[in-house]
Amino acid sequence: MSGRVSVLDDAAELRPRAVSGRAPDVFSREDCVPMAQFRDEEEVDFAIVGTGCGGGVLAAKLAEAGGSVVAFDAGPFFRPLADFASDEREQEKLYWLEERISDGENPIELGSNNSGRCVGGSTVHFQMVALRFRPEWFQARTKLGYGADWPVDWREMWRYYEEVEKACSISGPIRYPWGPKRGRYPYRAHEVNAAGLVLARGAEALGIDWAPTPLCTLSAPHGKSPPCVYRGMCKIGCSTNAKQSVLVTYIPRALAAGAEIRDLATVGRIETDRWGRATGVAYFREGRWRFQKARHVIVAGYSIETPRLLLNSHSARHPDGLANSSGLVGRHLMVHSNHAVWAEFDEEIRWYKGPPSMACCEHWNYADDDPTKDFDGGYAFMSQGPLPSDFATSIVTNSGEFGMDLRARMAKYNRMAGLKMVGETMPQADNRVTLSEGKDDLGLPRPRVTFGYCDNDKRLYAHALDFMGRMIEAAEGKNRFETEGTAHLMGGCRMGEDPKTSVVNADGRSWDVPNLWVCDGSLMPTGGGVNPSMTILANAARIADRMIAAGRRGEV
Amino acid sequence: MTDDRFDSPYPRYDVLEKWDTPSYNDQTREALAKRMDEVPPRRFFTAAEFTTLQAVCARVVPQPGRAAPVPIAPFIDSDLHAGRGTGTRYAAMPDDRTAWRQGMAAIDAEAKARHGSTFAELADAQQDSILSAINQGECAASGAWRDLPAQDFFRKLLLKWIVSVYYVHPAAMSEIGYGGPASPRGYVRLGPNEADPWEAPLSEKGARQ
Amino acid sequence: MSARQAAHRERGSRSIGLDAVAAGGVIALVAAFAIGSALRPERKSDPVHRRATRKARDGAAILGASVLMDSAMEHFRGGFHNRAMVLAPATAAASIAASLAEPRPDRTGRLPRLGHALSFAVGAAGLGFHFYNVTKRPGGLSWNNLFYAAPLGAPGALAISGLLGLTSEALSIAPVDGNRTGNEALAWSLPEAGRGLALATGGSLLVTAAEAGLLHFRGAFHNPAMWLPVTVPPATGLFLIGEAANPTDSGREVTRWAARGVAVLGVVGTAFHVWGVHRNMGGWHNWRQTSLAGPPTPAPISFTGLAMAGLAALDALGSEERSS
Repeated sequence: MSGRVSVLDDAAELRPRAVSGRAPDVFSREDCVPMAQFRDEEEVDFAIVGTGCGGGVLAAKLAEAGGSVVAFDAGPFFRPLADFASDEREQEKLYWLEERISDGENPIELGSNNSGRCVGGSTVHFQMVALRFRPEWFQARTKLGYGADWPVDWREMWRYYEEVEKACSISGPIRYPWGPKRGRYPYRAHEVNAAGLVLARGAEALGIDWAPTPLCTLSAPHGKSPPCVYRGMCKIGCSTNAKQSVLVTYIPRALAAGAEIRDLATVGRIETDRWGRATGVAYFREGRWRFQKARHVIVAGYSIETPRLLLNSHSARHPDGLANSSGLVGRHLMVHSNHAVWAEFDEEIRWYKGPPSMACCEHWNYADDDPTKDFDGGYAFMSQGPLPSDFATSIVTNSGEFGMDLRARMAKYNRMAGLKMVGETMPQADNRVTLSEGKDDLGLPRPRVTFGYCDNDKRLYAHALDFMGRMIEAAEGKNRFETEGTAHLMGGCRMGEDPKTSVVNADGRSWDVPNLWVCDGSLMPTGGGVNPSMTILANAARIADRMIAAGRRGEV
Repeated sequence: MTDDRFDSPYPRYDVLEKWDTPSYNDQTREALAKRMDEVPPRRFFTAAEFTTLQAVCARVVPQPGRAAPVPIAPFIDSDLHAGRGTGTRYAAMPDDRTAWRQGMAAIDAEAKARHGSTFAELADAQQDSILSAINQGECAASGAWRDLPAQDFFRKLLLKWIVSVYYVHPAAMSEIGYGGPASPRGYVRLGPNEADPWEAPLSEKGARQ
Repeated sequence: MSARQAAHRERGSRSIGLDAVAAGGVIALVAAFAIGSALRPERKSDPVHRRATRKARDGAAILGASVLMDSAMEHFRGGFHNRAMVLAPATAAASIAASLAEPRPDRTGRLPRLGHALSFAVGAAGLGFHFYNVTKRPGGLSWNNLFYAAPLGAPGALAISGLLGLTSEALSIAPVDGNRTGNEALAWSLPEAGRGLALATGGSLLVTAAEAGLLHFRGAFHNPAMWLPVTVPPATGLFLIGEAANPTDSGREVTRWAARGVAVLGVVGTAFHVWGVHRNMGGWHNWRQTSLAGPPTPAPISFTGLAMAGLAALDALGSEERSS
């Protein structure tokens, strides 16, 4: 090792990389691509806070439409080929590990579980499950009698699913068993690994459908990305660029179209003038606070940081926080119940190979008429492939097992398989993000996240545990055990058609501040029983088009 | 737990044997070399707290028969020293650093309340029974825990942190037959009872299938 | 890092590696060619017949070589978990030797025919095995299994190689003067043999293009060049079948050019596949993974083999007018 320059020394976390008119070329080990650069005093068309599923898509599409765009991210700008190691501990650098307070009846785990902190956002560490909402969920209140309606027609959303699936070259099955017919996925489904075949076997034994999971990783080359090598470390960052995260799809597009990305730049406040309009954002970068002027501010920091920023941007005119006349900023926060069943098998499964969830079952998202369905909403579940540390921590936090028992259980790692649910939780006003008394290193109030399951949520995950348990036994799994947990964040700034019951309208535009927009998962009025990334991406693509159209009409 | 013996299903497998192959890239080699060659010095815990922590680690992940046990406590110390967070602070718990200090003191207090000596001085079985009691939330020295919920501290902080240090070590990867580092080379054979030549060979049970 | 490196070098991998399989494959290939060539004196007097025979048999040998390497690699990937899996490369090697060996009218001449028949039989049986393998997996006869379970096309290629060998055998023993020996099973006249070979190669081109189509569909036709092998060879196959049904001078000329195109396509395709392996993560440096996971490098050349047999068939068909 001595004498050679350390590859991890030039760490993206230490100093910004997108500076001096250059940004990292994510397809290289050390090169840069040219990048537009705007001065702080220059009033740009759009200041976007966050570069994940919401901000990344907007930055690309708005810049491509000719807007001047600066997108901020609190996290680093990685080059996966050089920065990402095959190591769970090293890769914790992808997560939002700042202290946040987790409160409520069922306090949720934050950090690696649901929050990314880097350019590209959570898509850099997500597990790439690329599912669509069931059409009826966009009118959950009207059609299914729970939750809230989206202010968007499902057919419009489905067109945008298609757009973002193409942009991310989703590899999906030719025939998808649930929901209305969909067009062909851009790439073919991957080979289902042994862990996925356990789900398949169980589903066939119980006589229900299963499918190879549509995944956001390539099954054939695309552009500068090679196909997936099945290293199975998707959750700790793809070091080959096969994963079509926002970092390697929309961000390069945004840069090419003339957007500026500012990494390691934490936005602390949105400033407003005395007429209540947003004037730009105060952000901390390279050791000092600065202010970027902007005609429009778009908040895309996900369900905790978006409300946190809005609440912290209070002023005399907006004493309860920006865009909060409804009092709903931070409310109706949702997660997915992420309970799982695990079992041992005679054969060696070696679930560490391939993306973690290669087979899925959406049966209970569509089975309205099943007499055993005693809950509103739905759930999907997938085959699993946790890495060793991830698996061990989920065992010990759930059961408290330790000592030789734990080592012996972990020694069965290669013969384990599991089914894990993505269960819809109801939007409840009291599940929410607020500001706590404590301050972080930049002097910003830390967020407090309050969460508790309602009775329907509990019935839903109990049903899922029972069903998944039967399925894994039908697949000949032995010594079954269960774990509980949550995943994903949704809601917190819901969109709607009424200023009294929503924070923003269907375009993501704030009811209170006409040049303030929100575009991320916090818009979601309901959470659905599927992983949310594709829905957030599709919604962002839709909002981008709405903004561009509004701009053409002179309304932006 | 019958005895303190551990048998790996893959006794002859070592992920480090792949060090020079395409399974490892430079950044992975660097991260692992640092972990194996540079055990951080104690900087956060007091000597007494650290002794207790080491004793706890030795019961949570017993490593009998291993000439050089995988070091765990020094990495927890180094994380806390650096202020490396987990992203979650449960409202019912103090911040990580306070929780760890309080927790180590409380475990020692449990040992003194039950057996009259510090945790580290006790026999393995006594230590195990104390940890099992804490895992069930049964505390003999409840005053010592103050506002720290014993079971939550034990599971969500202590156990979680310990195993997340242990199971990223190559020795732990090898003993469970995990493929280990895999970039640029990943895997070709994904089916049941299939292994690439650069993986752990199928255990006897698997090979019989 | 020296200790770690030493540990690695000292122990290494003891299991049969892909390198061993590749080496074995190459040795088998070379041996097959050597044996075949040694038994290959030039005896034909008629130049057209000689050329046609030569082309057909070289084509069959190239196809056999493609099948040998492809099946060796794929069955290595499958760990030869079923012993019958060695049959595929083994019979492909026999087929190559048989293709190159000079046929004799005497009893020893039956040996190559036996080899080809064996290839055909093993290929057909393999097709059954692979079909069973597909259907017993969860999902049954689904796209995912057609893509990733035991490929149906591969044993098909072995069967084709046997079929082609048998027909070129018939071509090479066909008497130029039209006098049949009478007691041979494959006693065709030269144009008849040409017709048979044209049918066989035409059909084989269609089947092989279908296999390429399935796999290129799996690869989402991510490169427009991937459309070539699913358009040019089947068109050529149809031309050849048309020629077999109704030979014409002009048709033959068009078909000849098409077949030459297919022959070139096989070489170009190989280059594309070599490049494709390079494009996978780690490239050829990571060959133990990428040569198996990337596009199969031995596959495209089978088109060249088939095209040569097709050209031979056209030569033989052309001899009809000359001799009659």
